[in-house]
Amino acid sequence: MGVSALRTENLSKRYGRLLALDNLSLDVAAGEVFGFLGPNGAGKSTTIRLLLGLARPTAGRARIFDTDAADVATTHRKLAYVPADVALWPRMTGAEVLDLLARVGPGTDTAYRDELIQRFALDVSKPAGTYSTGNRQKVALIAAFATRAPLLVLDEPTSGLDPLMELQFRQAVGVARDNGQTVFLSSHQLAEVEAVCDRVGILRAGELVEVASVAQLRRLHHTEVAATFTGTPPDLTGVLGVDGLHNDGVATVRFTLNGSPTAALRALADADVATIVVREQSLEEIFLAYYGQNAR
Amino acid sequence: MIAITAPARPERVLRGLAVRQVRRAALVVTTVCAGMSALVVVGYQSEALDPAALAALARNPAIRTLFGEPVALDQAGGFTVWRTGTVLAVLLGVWAMLAATRITRGEEDAGRWSLLLSGGTTLAVAVRQHLGVLAVVPVLAGAATAAAMIASEADITGSVLHGIGLAAVGIFFVALGGVSAQMFSSRSAANGAAAAALVGGLLARMVGDGMPALAWLRWLSPFGLMALTRPFDTNRGLPVAVLACAALLLLALAGGLAAWRDVGAGILVTADSRPARTALLGSVPAFAVRRTLRPLAAWSAGIGAYFLLPGLIARSMTEFLTDNPQFAAMAAQAGFPALGTVEGYAATLFALLAVPVGVFVAVRLAAVAADENARRLTLLLAAPVTRLRLLAAEVAVAGCAALVLITVAGLAMWAGTATVHAGLGMGDAIAGAWNVVPIVVLCLGAAVLALGWRPRTVAAVGALPAVGGFMWQVIADSVDAPSWVRALSPFAHLAAVPATAPDWPAASVMAGIAAAGAVAGTIGYRRRDLSA
Ligand SMILES: Nc1ncnc2c1ncn2[C@@H]1O[C@H](COP(=O)(O)OP(=O)(O)OP(=O)(O)O)[C@@H](O)[C@H]1O
Ligand SMILES: [Mg+2]
Repeated sequence: MGVSALRTENLSKRYGRLLALDNLSLDVAAGEVFGFLGPNGAGKSTTIRLLLGLARPTAGRARIFDTDAADVATTHRKLAYVPADVALWPRMTGAEVLDLLARVGPGTDTAYRDELIQRFALDVSKPAGTYSTGNRQKVALIAAFATRAPLLVLDEPTSGLDPLMELQFRQAVGVARDNGQTVFLSSHQLAEVEAVCDRVGILRAGELVEVASVAQLRRLHHTEVAATFTGTPPDLTGVLGVDGLHNDGVATVRFTLNGSPTAALRALADADVATIVVREQSLEEIFLAYYGQNAR
Repeated sequence: MIAITAPARPERVLRGLAVRQVRRAALVVTTVCAGMSALVVVGYQSEALDPAALAALARNPAIRTLFGEPVALDQAGGFTVWRTGTVLAVLLGVWAMLAATRITRGEEDAGRWSLLLSGGTTLAVAVRQHLGVLAVVPVLAGAATAAAMIASEADITGSVLHGIGLAAVGIFFVALGGVSAQMFSSRSAANGAAAAALVGGLLARMVGDGMPALAWLRWLSPFGLMALTRPFDTNRGLPVAVLACAALLLLALAGGLAAWRDVGAGILVTADSRPARTALLGSVPAFAVRRTLRPLAAWSAGIGAYFLLPGLIARSMTEFLTDNPQFAAMAAQAGFPALGTVEGYAATLFALLAVPVGVFVAVRLAAVAADENARRLTLLLAAPVTRLRLLAAEVAVAGCAALVLITVAGLAMWAGTATVHAGLGMGDAIAGAWNVVPIVVLCLGAAVLALGWRPRTVAAVGALPAVGGFMWQVIADSVDAPSWVRALSPFAHLAAVPATAPDWPAASVMAGIAAAGAVAGTIGYRRRDLSA
């Protein structure tokens, strides 16, 4: 692997009795689009605040392009951030906020910024106090995408966007990827993650439970199989890899397949299969399975 | 299974919420009002006062302007009202107004009311219940004050009337804050408007007391109405009844306005689209200046007006005291020594300047804490800006703004004295005003300390050296406390500049303490988690 855009080593964060983040070790390579998933309260925003040096770790280290996260004068020159809830000074207009952020920020491509303002259809002449949640989010998104910072850290950036704007967002992520920028995206929009991310990490109750590419995840996890038979369905009980077995009527069997399909296929081959439908689970189903397990 | 908890009556829930937000401060305010009044009653030493001299005192416009009409000074109760009445009324009024905007507009601003209001409660009900709870606090403070004074053996009627007056002023400012919070869509704008009304009321009282032709002005000011009741003297009920009616009308108005507007909006709509104003956005310090300019202008106007007036009456005041040496001694007991020369007079008044300017710096740093808490600072903190730089910029800008305020006060006083040819040099006036810098620096240090370790307490801790120190000195002077007790107040260490030279050693000690606080605060600020 090349350079890490961000790396955490045994990163932990404790709030009183609550261990919000437990020994997180994560490595996101430069140029990667990384999805960061987990149920509410899993510790995603906490991780991001530690990466940005806004909160101090209880143990472990967070590094941005090999610089400690606490050294914000260096690390923040290389990143742009969109917080989960964007708050702005109510009397400043969108244009003024964008101007401020461009002038104190890590460098902004103003031509691209103006293009983004058009695309996200933001009226920047209005005071921020009159903005809706989605409009405030757009201000932060435009400011972040318009920087050419090598790392974009986005915490649920589309929670307030309508589907049309969501599409613009995906495009902007695509442009960032083409520019070689790294994107660290925390999100509950699984379709969006599926569409834009190369790899995902799943956090549950402060612990990292999975890091894999979307395709790998699918492969690792259950495949749904439904088969109908002309004769009597075979008895698949106890066959290696078969789970959640149940019969629909006399001639149909449904089950989920875990791991290698060899044993199940062999068992099926002995019967007269009329039809067989094999369906990969969507990312959503995979995560629902995770979220379901004693989520915090 | 579906479990539905029976909803408690929404009004009760709202009241409980309001009580939780004000109870601690309410206790402090009530204790201060009652405690200070009782201490001054107990500490009063009656001296045989010459009736002719008393009459002269009551007629002197300067005395009346500055301290209010001296009434019944031959009684412990009357002296207490004269000495502490305005101070306590201002304290209670300022607190009531700030609390009213905080628990209504502040909560609404922070988005904490949207959830509350989605469940069967209207905005008007929420506003009424919150203001209703808050209005109880001045009643408690007034009752406690009256009870404390009676227990210290002041006359019953006068004490009760004074307590009612205090309560009415407090309720008036609860209502004023409430109305202002309905008019404006941001808490700072609401505070600004209400504070302007408060300063206006104070000035109207001063002018009305000082100039017989304008005596009617006092009927327009809550402080004036409170004074017009003349406790321990004629004990008039009408003015306080007028004040109470005005307060209740304003309270009703606040509820009515709340019914009229949308959640999150104000009655006065903010301007819609406008061209960008990009001045002072280029750096963190510039941005700090930008956010300070508007409040600085407002505070300058208020403080300038406030110090112009004493300048205008300087001559009448000093001449009166030279002619009536008996009162110079009495003024000294009341904490105003050396009023006989224009320099001594200016020095005495400039010491008071530490209070508003100290509050100003505390409020500016509290605004930083509020910005952090509301997550408005997050996008700035995500830029390549260290915490140290951000904090340094804010502290430097607040400090410089305080120096501007101090200079404005000095110039205003000088302009006033120059108008009446009282003979105060401009340099002397500026020097006298700058003499309070050590106390303001103490406030700044305390505020930074709080920002680093207890960000919710920045305003209170930051204002403590000025407001707490001032109150401490008033009490210590009134009860003739031992010198080590007096020495605990920073005001005890201010030399009477321009009458005497500045007390450089004391100033250095205060600056040193402030620096220690600032360093400790900075360490905390760099170490702690930011709510961003
Ligand atoms: N400042 C804080 N003080 C105390 N507890 C906190 C603080 N910040 C976060 N927590 C707790 O830490 C846990 C993780 O919170 P975090 O905000 O990281 O969750 P998240 O994964 O971002 O959730 P969501 O999807 O809802 O945004 C939660 O249980 C939260 O209550
Ligand atoms: Mg979150």
